[in-house]
Amino acid sequence: MADLRSLPLVRASVPESATFADAVSALFDARVPALAVLAGDRVVGVISEVDVLRAVFPPYLAELRHTAFLDDDPAALDERALSVRARPVGELARRVDVLDGDDSETHAAERFLHTGEQALPVVDHGRFLGMLSIAALCHARLEGAEARR
Amino acid sequence: MEVIAVVIFALALALIAIEWVHRTKVALAGAAAMVLLGVIDQEPAVEAVDWATLGLLAGMMIIVGLTEPTGVFTFLALRVAQLSRGRPIALVFLLAFVTGVLSAFLDNLTAILLIVPITLLIADLLRIPAIPLVLVEIVASNIGGTATLIGDPPNIMIGTARPELSFLDFIVNLAPVALVTLVIVTSGLALVFRRQLRVAPERAAEIALLDAARDMREARKVRRTLAVLLGTIAAFFLHTLLHVEPAVVALTGATVMLLVAADDVEAALERVEWSTLFFFLGLFVMVGGLQEQGVVDEVAEWLADVTGGSSRAEGLTILWGSAAGSAAVDNIPFTAAMIPVVESLQGDEFDDGLWWSLALGACFGGNATMIAAAANVAATGILDRSGQPVSFLRFLAIGLPVTLVSLLVATVYLLAFQL
Repeated sequence: MADLRSLPLVRASVPESATFADAVSALFDARVPALAVLAGDRVVGVISEVDVLRAVFPPYLAELRHTAFLDDDPAALDERALSVRARPVGELARRVDVLDGDDSETHAAERFLHTGEQALPVVDHGRFLGMLSIAALCHARLEGAEARR
Repeated sequence: MEVIAVVIFALALALIAIEWVHRTKVALAGAAAMVLLGVIDQEPAVEAVDWATLGLLAGMMIIVGLTEPTGVFTFLALRVAQLSRGRPIALVFLLAFVTGVLSAFLDNLTAILLIVPITLLIADLLRIPAIPLVLVEIVASNIGGTATLIGDPPNIMIGTARPELSFLDFIVNLAPVALVTLVIVTSGLALVFRRQLRVAPERAAEIALLDAARDMREARKVRRTLAVLLGTIAAFFLHTLLHVEPAVVALTGATVMLLVAADDVEAALERVEWSTLFFFLGLFVMVGGLQEQGVVDEVAEWLADVTGGSSRAEGLTILWGSAAGSAAVDNIPFTAAMIPVVESLQGDEFDDGLWWSLALGACFGGNATMIAAAANVAATGILDRSGQPVSFLRFLAIGLPVTLVSLLVATVYLLAFQL
């Protein structure tokens, strides 16, 4: 029986004591939309690209819908970026549902649809296996179907 | 049974005040408890719900929800900031005036949800603290909302409970006192905050260069939605001539708005704040329970005894009492409970002075504490999410003096013209 362990999981994670800047670098390098934040090998949360966006840009942007008239204010943006760089990523991590290595692809797809997350941690008895992204799930399904034809 | 009704209602008010659980859960649980324990039967419980209030609220939520994406409110707020040219007192007055007018003709909660986010941006651009500006807006929203039937939930409830009071009656009797109060209070706040709001000339020059209209790309849609919004407001003015209730005006406006401006009806209806509507529904049932058990009549009789039947004393007691009650628990449940009390107090002789006393007390009282009005909760919530929290005491330090000054103005007005 196929399960999530057979999919291309990405071991994209940072310890909860890592800085925000380290997490953003790891996110950039990992090419997956979210990282697991770990305490040992246990998942304590995730930090996604949207979380990073919210931290780097002014928080009231989420309340605004109209900003086309704005020009960037480099000094203010730099000030904010510098203030957030050294924060421990554990402070910004969000708790999310995790997927189990035994779960079906269909269950993972349903979780993606209903949590709004772009990538979720997959665990085996609580131990972090890797991040599963929507792209990885769908790519594996398409390629697998083609190979089995 | 009477004791059970009072205990359930008092417990619900306390839980709403301390925000231990969401106010909608409290109101619905209180309503369910009253029906299940037999305080009020099922049919009277359904009859106790003021469906017109719910219709009016839902209609306005749809209208504003579909107008907001056009960017017209952002345009308005940004133009105001530009017009102030960085002068703190001008900025405070202009923001207070725009918030007051939006509150009067949309409702104060909606006005706050529209104006506060753009204010955070303006403050950031001008490099000034946002909290003083948002506090001014909260105060202006509660005072501006006092001016019309649709401006503040207490007025919506009073207006739908007493069909004799038209939209125009509210404006004629409440708008002048609201305007005077707004000017006095805003002057005081401008003086208090002027040092914190000094803007460097280069920042003011920079904001003046922004193209405020750049986000209003779909000119046809902007024209259509604005036409429906303004048409609905005009219909409110004319509702007695047209022989339609304000709720019908709002729901008709919402329907026209859905027809002309909603590409996706499901998405448009998501703009309706269902939790607010269910909060009102629960409250109405609880107040119905108090009425069924005769509690309302007893309070009215007590009030009549205390005031010796003098309409002046009754009016002023309602004014100051409802302000104190609103400050302590939230002006919506307090007004819901007070409406039947005032009805019982006036008996067969309709006395609009008592209703204006209730409206002024509940709406002005909404400024006293952070929990006194839904607009305050919403605005301080946005500040909190943007990393600029306001403590209960900091709010109180502004809200309480503002409320006392407002109530003094209202007292003079009521004694001179209404009572």
